[in-house]
Amino acid sequence: MSATTTIVMSALPSKSTIKLAPAPSHAEASSSQAQNQPPKSQKQMTKAERREQQERQRAAKAATKAAGPQPSGSNQNSAQVKKGAPPAASTSASVKKGGKGPDGKPTKDTKETTSDDSARGLRIFSHFGLPKPPGPSKGDIHPAIIRLGLQFSEFKIVGANARCISTLTAFKTVIQDYVTPPNNTLSRHLLTHLSPQITHLVSARPMSVTMGNAIRELKLEISGSDIDLPEQDAKNLLCQKIDDYISERITIADQVIQETAGTKIKDGDVILTYARSSVVEQVLVGAWDDGKQFSVVVVDSRPMLEGKKLLSVLSAMGIPCTYLLLPSIGSVITEVSTVLVGAHSLHSNGAVFSRAGTALVAMMAKQHSVPVVVCCETYKFAETIQLDSFTKNELAPAGDIFSSFPLTRSKDTLTLNKQLNLEILNPLYDLTPPSSITAVVTEVGVIPPSSISSIPLALGRTTL
Amino acid sequence: MPDLTTTEANTSTSAFPVVSFDICETYASFLKNEELSPPLAAILALSKLIETSDAGTMLELVKALNDGAGALKASTSNPISLNAGCELFIAFVTLLPHDSASFSDLKLELVRQGQKYAAEALTYRDKIASLALGFIKDDSVILTHSYSRVVMKTLLRAHERKRISVYVTEARPRGLGLRTYEELTAAGIPCTVVLDSAVSYVMDKVDFVLVGSEAVVESGGLINAVGSNQIAIIAQAANIPFYALAESYKFHRLFPLSQYDLPTHTSNILSFPLSSGGNVTSPPTAGGIKSLHEKSTNAGCIRQMTSEQIACNPGVDYTRPDLITLVFSDVGSLTPEGVSQYVVGMFAG
Repeated sequence: MSATTTIVMSALPSKSTIKLAPAPSHAEASSSQAQNQPPKSQKQMTKAERREQQERQRAAKAATKAAGPQPSGSNQNSAQVKKGAPPAASTSASVKKGGKGPDGKPTKDTKETTSDDSARGLRIFSHFGLPKPPGPSKGDIHPAIIRLGLQFSEFKIVGANARCISTLTAFKTVIQDYVTPPNNTLSRHLLTHLSPQITHLVSARPMSVTMGNAIRELKLEISGSDIDLPEQDAKNLLCQKIDDYISERITIADQVIQETAGTKIKDGDVILTYARSSVVEQVLVGAWDDGKQFSVVVVDSRPMLEGKKLLSVLSAMGIPCTYLLLPSIGSVITEVSTVLVGAHSLHSNGAVFSRAGTALVAMMAKQHSVPVVVCCETYKFAETIQLDSFTKNELAPAGDIFSSFPLTRSKDTLTLNKQLNLEILNPLYDLTPPSSITAVVTEVGVIPPSSISSIPLALGRTTL
Repeated sequence: MPDLTTTEANTSTSAFPVVSFDICETYASFLKNEELSPPLAAILALSKLIETSDAGTMLELVKALNDGAGALKASTSNPISLNAGCELFIAFVTLLPHDSASFSDLKLELVRQGQKYAAEALTYRDKIASLALGFIKDDSVILTHSYSRVVMKTLLRAHERKRISVYVTEARPRGLGLRTYEELTAAGIPCTVVLDSAVSYVMDKVDFVLVGSEAVVESGGLINAVGSNQIAIIAQAANIPFYALAESYKFHRLFPLSQYDLPTHTSNILSFPLSSGGNVTSPPTAGGIKSLHEKSTNAGCIRQMTSEQIACNPGVDYTRPDLITLVFSDVGSLTPEGVSQYVVGMFAG
């Protein structure tokens, strides 16, 4: 916070301070000044005062135009910014417009923050945008999609597989309820019908790679559907294809992965896993059912604390478990024999995009010569190359939606939402470089990260 | 271990005496041929199995093959390269489309293909030798490990046109390096045996390292006689290229995550002996002194390991792909990443 605020409010605005201080504080100053002296006519003002007034008006005009730099504004400004539904990325403009000045209500301006030293929006990760609550739905959104969007935005459904399966199931409902308008073919119109639904889901929460791949396959199937088929048959065929996709690429693939990865677990092993991956959970449960005796270390991290769910499932089965938070992984890593993690997506260069913190676990394991095994179905393969966690990521909304706090204290005392200088940043994913990964277990076999790009070739597919 | 006999599968009553087919014996007899390596012998044994099997459907045949492969694996302590051959043949039988008039024709075809492959595979060593020849410059000093038929062929071929000199490690406990030494000296190649512990001492004099292989695994890594990993690590530290020679039938779908993930790693290896009252015959400190092979000379004793102590040691080890420069194979000279792509493509399709 700069000191110009105090200077402006207490002293007559000099020319230099007028130039430095952005509009609202200036507006405050002008209003305080107006309270002190009755407005003079032009003739009565001295030359200096006339010039001041001109500057004021020019500044006020500039302020209303530009999404300019944020002021080190008053407490009320920042409170308006931080409170309420997750604000848009650049809160600067809204702060600028709000304040004690004449326009009292905060405007939510969604323009990007320009890099300015006094900017207090999210400086890094500002290119993602924070999640917004699903706005009023434009067009005809199916209630199943609306419900799904709400579940996504409130993080009731998390995990790449879960999201993909729920999306495809919702789309089955949409397709069944769809009626082709006259003079239209299903194969063409259904795509346009689905687009706003997809957009609605994306606005609730950015699309995962799994959803993207699945939807692409679905669109391919739709556009390839036979024109001569009666409508109900075509719809049933599509639903059948969706079921096949889920069964083949997810359910059965998971079973194959469970068997393959299970062979890597031996009696007496200590398996470390991070957060909660549905595939890893299956692998561990399957190996325990096979009679292998091993123990598990579950590493977890805030704010999502997904590991708790995994922990309850594993300990209910009788598997000896240890639970710890990510910062203390250094103390247990020497006891670990294998690290098993899941993935959100797999990239052509062999990098693994997964829950934030996975990269730390993998790199730590590599340092201690512990093999890192990633369990991932082939439908999570993204043809892109990703080199860092920066260019593409997602932020969790601020606020305590994950219920991760112990409830002995009231939630308000624990959340940090109302601090002035503090911006909360919760990236949900990070990238594990291929050098930290030992092997990737897919349903086509155990593959070293350098050969990931040959998976599509091995499958004989041109698209995934 | 189960002997595979056709009596079990033979449901038809036959007047002729039933020939019992022992796959392990067949395998052993094939192995007697010096030229054949374990994977090829396994392929030939499995083709013989098809010949004498009377399975009526593909499913039965594959099951019989799997049983046979299982029997072979159980009969030896180091089944890795054998496994590679079995898997290759069974994958060939199941994955490739065969059109034949009848099932017995199909079986004949499979047998023929198996024998043809084995015959052709004997030429692979020559192919690899000519490929590797381009990398051997005149006046090279080569380091090799233990005894490998491919490496021998390559070195002898190189000797025909270039001057080479070879260091070979002793490769304890089997001492196969000495066999290499004898054969090379007989051919007129200057050769010296170095201790396994002297590899780093000699590494700076060497131009490149050439080793054979028991198997090349899916990660692109190498499984070879114990000591190869050490040599590879030292070679990388000294910036010396490390070349592996491997025929394509040694490419295996195995993916060891570490040394202890190998199928040859049993709980016995690297185990600590139990305290007195346990099963071990000689406690560690006294074992050396009570050794049967102790020779007392005036200059001092040379101690040797007892066979129990040797049994606690591994026979093969795993070399990581990042330590290997190139793998020379009959399909070409591949980088380790290329090997894994080849294996993925070959078995996943």
